[in-house]
Order: sequence, then structure tokens, then C-alpha cells
Amino acid sequence: MNHLSTRRAGILRQMAACFWRDLLVARAYRSQFLFSVVNTLFGAASLYFLSQFVQSDKLARALPAGTTYLGFALIGIAVFDYMGAAINAFDSSLGEARLNRTLEALLVTEASLPVILLGSAIYPFVFTSVRTAVYLAWGVLLFHLQLGSANWPGAILILSFSILAFIGLGILSTSYQMLFKRGNPAKWIFLGLSGLLGGMMYPVRVLPPLLQDLARVIPLTYSLEGMRAALLDGASLARLGPQVAALAIFAAVLLPVSFAVFAWALRRTKVTGTLTHF
Amino acid sequence: MQAIVVENLTKRFPPAYSGWRTFLQIVAPASLRALAGVSLQADADEVVAVVGANGAGKSTLLRILATLLMPTAGRALVAGFDAERQSAQVRRRIGYHSGADFGFYGRLTGRENLEFFALMSGLRFQEARDRIGELTEHLGLGPALDRQTRGLSSGTINRLGLARALIHRPTVLLLDEPTRSLDPLAAAEFRSLLKDIVHRHGTTVVFASHILSEVEELAGRVALIDNGSLIAYDKPGGLLAAAKATSLQGAVETLLLRASASGRTA
Repeated sequence: MNHLSTRRAGILRQMAACFWRDLLVARAYRSQFLFSVVNTLFGAASLYFLSQFVQSDKLARALPAGTTYLGFALIGIAVFDYMGAAINAFDSSLGEARLNRTLEALLVTEASLPVILLGSAIYPFVFTSVRTAVYLAWGVLLFHLQLGSANWPGAILILSFSILAFIGLGILSTSYQMLFKRGNPAKWIFLGLSGLLGGMMYPVRVLPPLLQDLARVIPLTYSLEGMRAALLDGASLARLGPQVAALAIFAAVLLPVSFAVFAWALRRTKVTGTLTHF
Repeated sequence: MQAIVVENLTKRFPPAYSGWRTFLQIVAPASLRALAGVSLQADADEVVAVVGANGAGKSTLLRILATLLMPTAGRALVAGFDAERQSAQVRRRIGYHSGADFGFYGRLTGRENLEFFALMSGLRFQEARDRIGELTEHLGLGPALDRQTRGLSSGTINRLGLARALIHRPTVLLLDEPTRSLDPLAAAEFRSLLKDIVHRHGTTVVFASHILSEVEELAGRVALIDNGSLIAYDKPGGLLAAAKATSLQGAVETLLLRASASGRTA
């Protein structure tokens, strides 16, 4: 038991070290961080003006009750940002380690590759959270976004399960990248299909019936439904139950499958000798 | 206990494909021989040099010991642990330095890099700081430690690489051509450091090298590899006697020619 807790503490220390390293590297690129935050203002403003332009009865009927297009689209972009972070974080981290040739040095440390990759994903998630908070803040402060009745614990619950499901997709995508080292179609399929079907910029109900059915088998659909209901409509935890359950199932299936695929891919690259190639 | 036990170690790689055939790489048969039935042992606090031409299999052997590659057949034990099946235990006990003058985060200082790798190697933060202090003094890193690594010379990066390999007090040190990017003076300093480390801490060292004067100066035993096969494994004096040569250079050449003539490495 003592050995187990020591090991857990060691893993947490290693993940914290990855976060600290990324923070130190980001410190060297302060302007990039600043521009990214400023860019959220442009994004929020664009959505505001777009929402002024597209207001119509048809749109009002298509949107969930009590929702404006500005809030709908802002949350769509913010959640999709998380998905992008999850899918890009792992293979970016692997790719950068290959490129700056630190991967070999990392792989001979006590830390396992999954810990290295998960640790390297913390900074992108924290950065995405900051950007999302700034996005929503611009919406509230400048563009009359109403979040007064938001159920924040419900939103955090939905976000937590969403991130777990997205991490599963991200690890699957990284497994592909590890094996083949070239244009990663897994990444673009996950992001492209989710962007098309998940309801980021328009409600799923405007899609043709076949695509609506397909939308039910991707996690982003449930993340967006849950987040919009929690933040814009103040939905209770009971009302968020179906979305939480669906995301929990996605996470329960995707995480073990993705870790198994990843373990196989890692073993295979140690056999072929291509682990550190790029 | 023997620090290194290599038994009948064989490694074959699949051919490197490009274009659409890259997708076949993961199922391609491993047909290119890198190591063929290599067996050797190294005692605790022994220094073993692995010598051979480019492509002989030196780096492959070191990379299997460092858990970066999996053997096709045979096994490698490091500090009593199987490098393939118990890789986490092996990694805790080894330090590996590829001898390259890269492999650090260029925007971080030497100290920040070492702190990061120390934590990844299982040290606590205060332990890491103390250990970096010791190594700085021992390896003469001095002011370079607080500069970004992208601006450091090859020699300093190499010393930083050795510090990284030593940071968690490994019992086995694996060095792949550690002086390849160093000028003669820096290489001599590096060898002196290495001798000091072995003398002080009883660390087992396995290093690959092309420089036979370096091998003569450091190694207790020499593993001579040609085309993946181990053709001799003995003390430098033993190699001289076996080849009836007066210098290690002559002994290595004679033994390689003899092995080639007898077809052992064909």
C-alpha cells in the first residue's frame, strides 16, 4: 500500500514536472500567449456581429430554449477548443520531443511514456481553460451574454467527462502518429467529423436525419448539449444525466481501448526501431 | 552480482519503407540483421568498451540495454532485471547518454533542464537541487548551468548530458560514443571525469567508441563486434595476446581480418 502511494506520488511529481517545463517554455514566448488571449476578443466580437446578422424566427426555433446564437456559438467554439487540445496535445508533445530530440532522453527516465504524454497534455488543457474563460468573459462583459443562471458544477462535470472521452480520441490519434509518423488522418477524421456533426456552430437538428443519427455516436454532441444546457439554461444535474451518462460510456470505452492500442503501438515501434524517428 | 548479462542476443529490423509502403512497416518481417547471438557479461564497477565499425551493432546493443529497443531473440539483464520485460526497473538503474550535442530544451537553462530530468528520474525537488549542486562542482558546469542550453557549446552540452545520465545515481552507465562531438582537450577531460565516477561510485560503464586510445585508457574489457557478431570479448591485454599484436589498433585489425577470413561475420 505504502509502495503504491509512493509510486502515485512519483507519477504526480513527474506530471507536475512536465507542466512546469511547458510553463517555462511558454514563458519564453509570452507574446504568443498574449496574442492568443487578444484573439479571443476578435473571435467573440465576430460571433456577436454574426449573431446580429443571422437572427431569425427559423433560427430561434432551431436553437435550444432560452438560447441566443451568440451563447450557442461561443460555447460551441469553446468546447471544440477542448477537443482540439485533447487531440493535438499528445501527438504534438510526441512530435516536439522527436523534433528537439529529447524523446530518447525522456524514454530512459523512470517515467513511462503514458505519464510523459499525459503530463505534457496538462499545459494545453490549462491554456485552453484560460482561453475559454476569457472568451466567456468577453461575451458577458461586452456582448450581453447571459450566464447568470448557469449551473457551474454541472458544467464542470460535463467538461470533466468530455475531456476524458476526448483524451481517448487523442491517444488513438497519437498511436497512429507513433506508428506512421506522417499526416495523421485519425486526427482530421475525429476533428472534421465532430466539427461537422457535433453541433458546434449549428444545432444537430438542422442536419439531415442520417447525419443526426451519426451525430449520436460522437462525444462532442453530448458535450455541447450538456454544456449549453448547464451554462445557458442552468439545467440541474438530474437534467444533465443523459449527457453525463453518454459521456461516461464514451470515456469508459475509449480510454481502455486507446491505452491498449497505444501500448501495442509503443511495443511495435520498439521492435521496428522507429520510436524516435520523425 | 553481474551488472550486465547478455545472452544470445539477436536483433533484426524490418526494412525501412517509404511512401504508401510505410503502412506495411508495422507488419514487415524483420529481415535486416543488427545483432546475431551476442553473449557477454560485465561485473559491477567494470568498464566495458564496445568497439566495431559503423553499423556493426554497437548502438543497437546499447539501445537494447537502455530499453529503447526490444530484442528479436535472446535476453539482456541489467542489474538483474530483464530489459524487455522489466523495463521500468531497468530504467531506474541506468543512465544513458547518446554522446550527441542535442537533446535538451533549448529555451530552458541547463539547471532547469537538469531539474526536469531529475524529477522525471524519480528524484524529489530538493534531492534534485542538491544533486545538481554536487554534479555542477564535479563536472565543472559552473556558470553554463544558468544559461539557455541553445547557446551552449558542444562540449558543455556533452557534460550536461553526462550530468543528466548521472543525476539519479545509476548503477549502470551506458554511453554511446560519448566523446564524438568533443575536441581532444574536452575529450581528455571527459575521460578523466568518467574514471573518477567509476572510482568514486563503483558504477558499471558500458561505452561504445571508435577511439582506441580512449578504449585503452578506460576499458577493463573490450567487446569487439563486427556485422552484429561478437568476435572477441577480453581484457585489452588478452586481445593483444590473441592477435599477437603490440597495439590495440593492430589487435583489432587482426581480429577483424581473421573473423572475416573465417566467415564468422559474413
